[in-house]
Amino acid sequence: MSETAKFTEDILSIAREKAQSIISKAEEDADRILNEAKSNFLREASELIKNAETEGEAIRRRQVSEARHALKLREQGEKNKILNEVLDQTRKRASEITVDENRYLQYLTKLSVDGIQEIGLENVVLHLNAGDAKRFGEKLNREISRQMQKPGKVDLAREPIETAGGVIISNNDDTIRIVNTFEQRYEALEARLLIEAGKLLFNE
Amino acid sequence: MSGLETIKIIVDAEKEASRMLEEAQRKATEIRKQIDITIENKRSEALSSAKQKASEITERAENEGKSEAEKFERESSGKLHELVTNASSKKESAVKKLVELVLS
Repeated sequence: MSETAKFTEDILSIAREKAQSIISKAEEDADRILNEAKSNFLREASELIKNAETEGEAIRRRQVSEARHALKLREQGEKNKILNEVLDQTRKRASEITVDENRYLQYLTKLSVDGIQEIGLENVVLHLNAGDAKRFGEKLNREISRQMQKPGKVDLAREPIETAGGVIISNNDDTIRIVNTFEQRYEALEARLLIEAGKLLFNE
Repeated sequence: MSGLETIKIIVDAEKEASRMLEEAQRKATEIRKQIDITIENKRSEALSSAKQKASEITERAENEGKSEAEKFERESSGKLHELVTNASSKKESAVKKLVELVLS
């Protein structure tokens, strides 16, 4: 090989090596960039799936929880329906005591005696509805006197009160009152009746 | 070979060498351009597959939740019916006891 041929071969050989090195470097860079990018988008994809799993679990729980809540409401509705029926029936049945004259007189006497003792005065006035005043006026007074150790003066009010039954005990000028009417007793007992009814009906 | 011919051969060789390097640079630029497209394609493929999987996961969870809720409703409806029947059978005795309480 001539000197010239050897020289030109060297030039070309160096150029080939350099060209190969440029391409190899570009390929290495491309691989590195691709791997980095792959790692990033695989993380992104994995995040998507993880979020979907969390969301899925939340959806599942929400559906069960909504079903539980709906059932709780239905149960509460059914219980309220039964409780209301029982309380209405109780109110109605308690008012029916007025039909049984003897039993009602005893009850009215008890309400009056309790009220008189509570008010703690010598002279009191009893307020009844028109029917009760007509039926029991004097009888009630006698029963009260019989049951109390030291009965004071018990008068019947001239004006009847509006009530289904029971009695209001007041002082003479009507500034102090003990209200023992059916309505008041029922109202005062309502919370307790609800609790008792809950225990009796639902063992709560 | 004359001196002039020798110089021409060397100049031609250098031209060829320069062309080789230009070609290598062009290829390198092409490789770098291509990688962006490859990355975008692979990313899009991976994310699309992940989205599909995510959608299947939520859909499955929704169905599972629905079926669990239905199962719960079926079981609970029976219990509720039992509770109502039981309480209804106790209504009369409850009324009697509450009337006693009101009139006590």
